[in-house]
Amino acid sequence: MLKKTNIGYSLLKGLVCLICISPLYVMFYLSLSSSTYYFAQEWFPKEMLWENFTTAWTKAAFNKAFLNSTVITLGAVAVLVLISASAGYAAARFQTKVNRFFFNLMLMSMLVPGIINTVPLYTLMRKINAINTYWGIILLLACSSLPFSVFLYESFISSMSAELEEAAMLDGCTRFQSFWTIVFPQLKPITATVVIMQGIGIWNNYSQTVFFLQDKNYHTVPLAISRFFNTYGADYNLMAASAVIGLLPVIIIFIILQKEFVSGLSAGAVKG
Amino acid sequence: MRRCQLRKKLRCIENNLHKAMMIPAIILFSLFFLYPLCMGVGISLTDWNGLSDARNFVGFSNFLKFFTDKRALHAISVTLTFGLISPVLLNVFGLGLALLFQNQSKSSVLGRMMVYFPSIVSPLIMGYIWLVILAPSTGVLEPALNSLHLDFLYHGLLGDADHVMILIIAVNVLQFVGGPMMIYIAGLNAIPDEMIEAGQIDGANAFWSFVYIKWPMLLASARVNIIMNIIGSLAVFDIIVALTAGGPGYATESLSIYIYRVSFNGQAGYATASAVIMFAIIAVPVLIALRFLKSQD
Repeated sequence: MLKKTNIGYSLLKGLVCLICISPLYVMFYLSLSSSTYYFAQEWFPKEMLWENFTTAWTKAAFNKAFLNSTVITLGAVAVLVLISASAGYAAARFQTKVNRFFFNLMLMSMLVPGIINTVPLYTLMRKINAINTYWGIILLLACSSLPFSVFLYESFISSMSAELEEAAMLDGCTRFQSFWTIVFPQLKPITATVVIMQGIGIWNNYSQTVFFLQDKNYHTVPLAISRFFNTYGADYNLMAASAVIGLLPVIIIFIILQKEFVSGLSAGAVKG
Repeated sequence: MRRCQLRKKLRCIENNLHKAMMIPAIILFSLFFLYPLCMGVGISLTDWNGLSDARNFVGFSNFLKFFTDKRALHAISVTLTFGLISPVLLNVFGLGLALLFQNQSKSSVLGRMMVYFPSIVSPLIMGYIWLVILAPSTGVLEPALNSLHLDFLYHGLLGDADHVMILIIAVNVLQFVGGPMMIYIAGLNAIPDEMIEAGQIDGANAFWSFVYIKWPMLLASARVNIIMNIIGSLAVFDIIVALTAGGPGYATESLSIYIYRVSFNGQAGYATASAVIMFAIIAVPVLIALRFLKSQD
């Protein structure tokens, strides 16, 4: 009896995994086949056309897109970590009226979807000449991930004891110095979470970059893929290859850092 | 003497620098969130086209126009259909998968990873992947089903206005069910073993142990999931853009896509008014959900 249910569960687990992975397999399969494919007849691609990838790479101008995405993601994540860690510290340790007010405001802003601000944001970005610039999109994307990151840092710092900081201050550090030298290194687990989760979100961002990076020279990977899909709509093998290229960095990071993903998700959940 | 004073001043600034630690965040947040939000309310009361200097105050006529525009009303119904069904399914399946993959065996850990994996893929790319699979006449699903003589299963899904919504919801759930699952697993693992054992001693089977012991302990996880999923689903954008671009016709055009389109149509004032309305539409279910979940505590 017990064994039968165990087998049932294993089968169910297998089926679930299969369903989740199948679209990615189809994608991988197509990216290696010729433009006339016979998917139903073969389970593995007959010929491995690796040149699909190089063709897609050049046609979609991925050189530039990868450079842009890297610069924007690294920049936005760096700004985000520095600003949200120090704001989280302020919110956790110095609960002045101003700090509390803005902290609560940021929490509430998480309820507001990004698209709502689009038109006024567009006029603002045009006024300060931030459209089609790295710095403009970096600050904007950092800001849209700011509330959640501040919240994560705040809840983590609140649960830490203040003894070490106080000891450092007795040794002649100012409070500000003691944050960067003593507290910030201790925040590693939460920093890892912020870097990974928000970093992936920023790398994948489409709904904001599509507005503010309309110049082809500033297109990121998702924008390049969407342009590619619109121009080469008939070549499914090339489209699949471009999608695989776009997925690859995310897949690699996920495989390397999967433990941090899980701990990050639970950190956000338990406190919420 | 003077130098000494300057030094004193610097020292004073250094000692109080920590009081300014929130300021960079406040500046960034005010510039890119609060300021546009306030400006938006003003713009929504004008007939501004988004480019010229000319703008006239038109009162609430943009709001009235929204509610007389059939396309806009349809976008609301699309948004609500998607935004209320998706969170339910995400939570039901997320909880089910969490119970399935809860234990710490190797196969469960690997399974969790596989279920979670699609969530980190850009919804845009995921949408395109499904487009390649499902597209009528050119997709891979149709010839595959044909060769297996199962072609009755396939009705040109993406071209059919009635079925396409189901499809979009299914694709969305399949992609994002991993997040809720992980959060429910974290909640399940936080339940002390003694509680479940005590239940078993009292004769509770798996079902009653879930109803009386696990579920009440999972309310915190459920709250996070439900709120996050409602907000995310009501703002749906990328996945519909990739799968149907709002089509066929305007059948699957969500509010985000509608706003995106009208804001580049020389109707900035109207687009902003629509955005304000969208905010209200999102706030209502979220507040109801918050209230309801609070009353459950």
